[in-house]
Amino acid sequence: MVEASCQNSGMRLTEDQICLIRNVVHGVLGVRARVTLFGSRVDDTARGGDIDLLVEIDHPVDHPALSSAQIAVRISRGMHGRRVDVIIDAPNLKRQAIFQIARENGVLL
Amino acid sequence: MTLPDSVSTRLKFLCRVAEKEARHLLQTDERLFAQLQQSPTALATDEIEPLLAERMDAFVGRFGRLQDTLGDKLLPTLLDALGEPRGPAIDNLDRAEKFGWIDSADAWMAARRLRNLMVHEYIEDRQILSDALYTGHAFVPVLVAASARLAAVTRSHFG
Repeated sequence: MVEASCQNSGMRLTEDQICLIRNVVHGVLGVRARVTLFGSRVDDTARGGDIDLLVEIDHPVDHPALSSAQIAVRISRGMHGRRVDVIIDAPNLKRQAIFQIARENGVLL
Repeated sequence: MTLPDSVSTRLKFLCRVAEKEARHLLQTDERLFAQLQQSPTALATDEIEPLLAERMDAFVGRFGRLQDTLGDKLLPTLLDALGEPRGPAIDNLDRAEKFGWIDSADAWMAARRLRNLMVHEYIEDRQILSDALYTGHAFVPVLVAASARLAAVTRSHFG
């Protein structure tokens, strides 16, 4: 997995967009939450596309549905209504195959 | 304020629909969450009991219909009738928040997204399903109040 530090490498997001995504996720789920961008946005040859995010936290999440909806809405608003999908991996949630796929093919923001 | 008859008729129709939908949502909300309170582990099973499953479907359906009637139909029609600019859903909701018709455009948009997480066949993680349903339950009074407010604004301007 490639790591990006508020810079645009291996993905089609601007520095400001990466910072926005991180700030929103940290605001909702704490500063230790890790965000991975996966899906079409990490493909430099694709155009446009949804923003697919995997958010990982090490502690149980009380409101997984509400938290993912809040994160998606706030990021979408900051990106002019771009469609954003957020999945959360936390110790109290079911493991999903998509988590591993996102980790393997995604970019840690 | 004078409006073409067709606009005024449509506004009044949408207000009646929203008020009916709000009443029906409240009924399902009461039944569903009373049942969940009686059997708190009912959501934890893979195969949800048929009556509960039907009530959940009714809740999601009624929640979605009311939210769409208000946000996608009544609100833009009302903004138009008042001579306000209307645009994408989020802009209309921001305007509704500014006028005090809804409390938060962001909360409204989040509730809209939650609807996809309330579908029991699709959401296998019961923690997510349960959180989506209970967050929706907490949002029901917001939808009902918005319905009453939009109807009151319509009546105060257009009789």
